[in-house]
This record gives sequence, structure tokens and C-alpha cells, in this order.
Amino acid sequence: MSATQQIEPNIDHYLAEYARVERDLPGSDDSKRERSAELTRFSEAGFPSPREEDWKYTSLQPVEKRRFEISDEAEPVALDELRAFLPTDLDAHRIIVIDGHFNAALSSLDELPAGVTVRSFADYLSDNAGATVKAREIDEEPGSLTAMNAAFCTDGAYVETAANTVLDKPLHVISVASGVRDERMTQVRHRYVLGENSQATIIEHSVGLGSKAYFANQVTEAVVGRNAQLTRIRIQQESERGYHVSSFFAQQRRDSRVFNHGFDLGGRLARIDTNARLVDHNAEVHFNGVYAPTGRQHMDNHTKIDHATEHSVSREQYKGVLAGHARGVFNGKILIQKDAQKTDSDLSSDALLLSDNAEVDAKPELEIYADDVTAGHGSTVGQLDEDAVFYLKSRGVGEEGARAILTYSFANALVQKVGIEPIERYVEAAILAKLPGGRAYVDLA
Amino acid sequence: MISIKNLHAEVEGKPILRGIDLEIPDGEVHAIMGPNGSGKSTLASILAGREEYEVTEGSVTYKGKELLELDPDERACEGVFLGFQYPVEIPGVSNLYLLRAAVNARRKYHGEPEVDAVEFMQMVQEKIAHVGMSMDMVKRGVNEDFSGGEKKRNEIFQMLMLEPSLSVLDETDSGLDIDALKVVASGINRLRSPERSTILVTHYKRLLEHVVPDRVHVLYQGRIVRSGGPELADTLEEEGYANLETDEAAATS
Ligand SMILES: Nc1ncnc2c1ncn2[C@@H]1O[C@H](COP(=O)(O)OP(=O)(O)OP(=O)(O)O)[C@@H](O)[C@H]1O
Ligand SMILES: [Mg+2]
Repeated sequence: MSATQQIEPNIDHYLAEYARVERDLPGSDDSKRERSAELTRFSEAGFPSPREEDWKYTSLQPVEKRRFEISDEAEPVALDELRAFLPTDLDAHRIIVIDGHFNAALSSLDELPAGVTVRSFADYLSDNAGATVKAREIDEEPGSLTAMNAAFCTDGAYVETAANTVLDKPLHVISVASGVRDERMTQVRHRYVLGENSQATIIEHSVGLGSKAYFANQVTEAVVGRNAQLTRIRIQQESERGYHVSSFFAQQRRDSRVFNHGFDLGGRLARIDTNARLVDHNAEVHFNGVYAPTGRQHMDNHTKIDHATEHSVSREQYKGVLAGHARGVFNGKILIQKDAQKTDSDLSSDALLLSDNAEVDAKPELEIYADDVTAGHGSTVGQLDEDAVFYLKSRGVGEEGARAILTYSFANALVQKVGIEPIERYVEAAILAKLPGGRAYVDLA
Repeated sequence: MISIKNLHAEVEGKPILRGIDLEIPDGEVHAIMGPNGSGKSTLASILAGREEYEVTEGSVTYKGKELLELDPDERACEGVFLGFQYPVEIPGVSNLYLLRAAVNARRKYHGEPEVDAVEFMQMVQEKIAHVGMSMDMVKRGVNEDFSGGEKKRNEIFQMLMLEPSLSVLDETDSGLDIDALKVVASGINRLRSPERSTILVTHYKRLLEHVVPDRVHVLYQGRIVRSGGPELADTLEEEGYANLETDEAAATS
């Protein structure tokens, strides 16, 4: 981008918006300077355009044409309004962020194990003079939306586990867009820093309540220390008029493991970037994702696994279930660098089209510069097996039910990988509930 | 139980059934034999409601209802059961899940409450014992990685669970060793009662020694060309289907 580039009117809006809220943003003066540099980066690059290869299939036009504002404070939301998003029997610590602001009253962070810190990201920034908005260890790569988030981020979850500690229960982080006022944006940022040999499971849950259009732009950074293990479960249930963009960056040290499970169910448009960089030997990463757009929903998952050194393992599986006029995009990039000998990687993408009007573009992308590696990949797009539909009907299950059961079973293999039963049941029910006639079969699973 | 009259059907414009008449009284077991491609599976599929076959003429009355007007799932709820010649594998849907859905669909159809979980599992325990399946197997995906014989046992297990009024078993005895054959046969006999009827599609007399049919019919080129008692199976085993050409001529005239 040239320096003389015209600043679009909508970018002007965000510059003014930044000036309006800057004083209230958490963090030291140094971090304010960091934010303002990020704002410049965003304003120069602008919103991603479909001319960029990575954004070929996803237009942010509907986001770009609106003028979203930061909420100075959260709308009042009672825990009761969130009940539907609390998985039954889930024993978890909880952080609730509403309209971009940590809500201490609704959160529940008592009895954390010694050596484990879980707190609001804003507090972390405010309390530590040296704290930076972006983790120093991580290169978020030139992405204008992550820059926008770094400039504007108001709050989120900060998790730090000391060496040899275990977060005893999953942490359920719910980011709520109240949707009460029109054209609001949430800029939420989470950071997880896992010390050597430590372990944590974090559920990142994005939900929308109201009927107004909003923009949720989220970034999560994770630094996963030697032999540490992070399980991240991302459940995206934005409301019908929610525009959701989120990026995850993991940096994995030697012998570390990351299990990332993504479930995209909501939103008018969702774009998710999931990235892991395996910087030292014998790191292992698993990306599993299910996306289930129906109606006119648009869901785009981009992933990138960067194998930088020897003996690392990656396993990636994405499954899409598309109905109505839905649109799905999957782009899975595996980069195996020159020094990453003995890398073992496998990537598969399968999509099920339930209607003639649904469409999916799925592309595995392998870039391999080492010569002694195992790298498998496969991609399928198909329809329901009509013989199986008839088999179920011949046993008494109605047409819609048969289709719902089969569709669900297609995705189920990945849901079962989560390994936390209350979450599995919650996600199962949420997927089934989206399918015509599926609700009746929720309790059978 | 069921009365089939002058049934004609075609697939993709090609006539396959060319006027079938068949009457099966309550409580009877009828065997249907006939060479490959004669239309046996087509008949079975039409009774179960498979849509790719177009019925061009004729009628089927089942328990006084026009069977052809019901959807496949309604037929199932009315007590029709098809044992598939080639049962499909459905990974991701466990046998138990399918059966609970099936049992509940039936109950709902008849205005009854859903099956109680404990009661259901007791039923499963009892029936898997009859067919020699393990709990482990029924927890797996429907027919997932089952051998040919295991799939057929599973069809019989489902039949025992669903207790149909009319079972249409399409070559449930094919590809079985003698032990599995006995399991299948005893499953069929177990359900034999004055209020249930069975159509056995088979190529082999072997099954009919264990399940003695009331009648045996021979289907040839889309028509029933000969009917008789159980002894007809012996005749067919000895003579093959060589004389059917003349039978067909007789049936047409
Ligand atoms: N879906 C279909 N599309 C095209 N032709 C079909 C279809 N189903 C059956 N046919 C044809 O109809 C005829 C009868 O087939 P059917 O499967 O009913 O025979 P069958 O008596 O069951 O044979 P087998 O003993 O081999 O099982 C065959 O010629 C078969 O090729
Ligand atoms: Mg057949």
C-alpha cells in the first residue's frame, strides 16, 4: 500500500472512533503507543478485499459499509439470558465478557489452583507497566483486522499457568454481544501463556443475543511452553446479524501439544483464521473443525500450520455441513519448512451439501520444503447417501429426521474428539437443532 | 395380511414387475424364489416404499390399507419390516441410536409415550442374546465394519426389536455359515405367530428346512409363474429354473 493512498471514509470513522475511546482503553502509555501504531497499520491497509488471495471468497462489504462503534459500557445482561449457552453439567471456571467488557459479577473464578492465573485481559494490561497488547513471542503476520483488534481491544481473558501446574477444570470464556444497540463492535482479545509442563483447557464461546447488527472481532494468542498442553474449544454462536472475525495464533515450543476444536454454528458471516507455529522439535497440533451454515450464512475457515523444525506432528480435519443458500470456505495450509524433517502431517476436508443452492470451496494447500516428511491430504464434497436415508425411513424414522440423523452423524466423529462430555452433548444438540426435523433427535444421542 | 393385485412396476422406464398377484393370509410364511434379476428385490423394495420404483398398475392392500399410499416410515410404523439384501453401513449412527429412534417413532405414531431407557436396554439385552451379538457390536455404527453374516444377524436383531406384523426378508440367508443360518432361522421362527406374516426371498432350500413355509412362489421375469407347498422348493432345487419358460407361457395365456 502506498503512503499517498486515499483513506476511505469508513476508515476515517475508525480513526475518529479510536480518538473517542483511546483514553478509556486499558494499558500503559507504552501500550497506547503500540495501539496507535496498530491503528495506523489498520488504516493504511484497510479492510481485507476480495482481491487478496486469502479473501477471495469472503467479502467484508457488509462490515465495511457500516460504522461500528465501541460500547463504552456493557448493556445489562442477566445470567438467565445466558443459560441456554451454559452446557448442562459442565463443571468449569467462567469468564463472561459482555459487549467487550469483563463482567466480574457473572464470572466465576474462585478456587483457582496455585500457580494458575485467570483474569481479565484489561486488568492484566492496566496492572503491568511492561505489558504489551500483542504477545512479544508471537508474530501475528500482517493482517489488518488483527491490527484493528490490537488498537481497539477492550478486554478478554488472560490465562497464565506456571510450570508444572494444571488448570483443574475447563475455563469457559463467553463473549456476549448484547445486540441491544445497532452497529456496535466488540474487540476482544485473549492471551494464554502456558508454562513448561502445564496444562489448560479453555472454551471460547462467542454468542449474540439481540437482533441488531454487530461486528465481533476477536484475537487469541497462545504461547505454549515446553511439554505443555492447550486444549482450545471454540464455539461460535453469534446471532443472525452478527459478523464474526477471529484469529488464533499459537506458538508451540518443544514437545508441546495443542488441540483446537472449532464449531461454527452462528453468525451472518464468520471468518476464522486458526494458526499454529511449531517452533521446536516434537510439537504436536490437532485442528478439528465443524462448520454448519444454513439459510444465508457464510462461514470461512482459514488455517495454517507452520512446521519449523524436526519431528513435529499435525492432524487436521474439517467437516462442513451446508444447507439452504449457505456458503462455506475452507482453506487449510500446511507449511513444512526446510529444517522440518520427519514432519508427520495429515489434513482432510469433507463437506456435505444438503441443498442444491449451498456451495463450498475447500482447498488443502501443502507447501513442503523438507524432503523427509509424511504429508497426507484429502478433500471431498458430497451429498447424503440416499440408501442410508431409505434404510432409516424403512425403520420408521421420518424423512427429515433421517436426514438430520445422517447429517449429524457425519459431523459427530469430530464432536466426539472434544473429550468433554457436557461440551460434546451441547455441541451435538446445537448442530441437530439447526437441521430441519433435528430437534426431535437431540435426546437420543 | 397383505394382498398384492396385478402389480406392475418399472425403473427408469424399464418394466420389471409385470403383473404380480400374491395373497398372504395372517400367520403365514411365504417363500419367494426365482433366478437372479427376476424382480424379487424390486418387489420387496416396493413393499417397503422405495421411491425409485414406479408402480404403473395394480394395488397392494395391507391390513385393509392402501399400502402404496403410505410413506416408507409410515409403513414401518404400521408394522412392515424389510430385511435388506444389502444392509447399508452408517458410520456415526450407532445401532442403539437407530433402534431407539425407530422404537420411539413407532410409539409416537400410535400415540404412545417414548420408550423408557431402562426398559429399552433390557429389551436390547434380551434380543442380542437371541442373535448372538455383543453389546459392543450394537454400540458401534449401524453395520459399521460388520461382516456379511453380521449384517444379516443385525437385520434379524432389528426385526426382533421392532416386532413387525409383516416381515419381508430379502435373502437374509445368503452368505451365511450354518451357525448364522440357524440364528436367522430361529429369529424368524421366534416371531412366527397367528398375527404375523413373513415373506422370505431366498435362493436356497436350506433356509426352508429350518423355516418351513406355508407356500412357495416362483418369480420369473416379473411374474409369479408357479406356486405350491414347501415341496416346490425341493423340485426347484432338483430341476432348477429351466422349465420356467413354459410356466411363463402358461401364466401369460
Ligand atoms: N435401481 C435400478 N435401476 C436399474 N435397474 C434396476 C434397478 N433395480 C433393479 N433393476 C433391474 O431390475 C431387474 C430385477 O432386479 P431385482 O434386484 O429385483 O432382482 P432379484 O430377483 O432381486 O435378483 P437377485 O436374485 O440377483 O437379487 C434386474 O434386471 C435389475 O438389473
Ligand atoms: Mg435381490
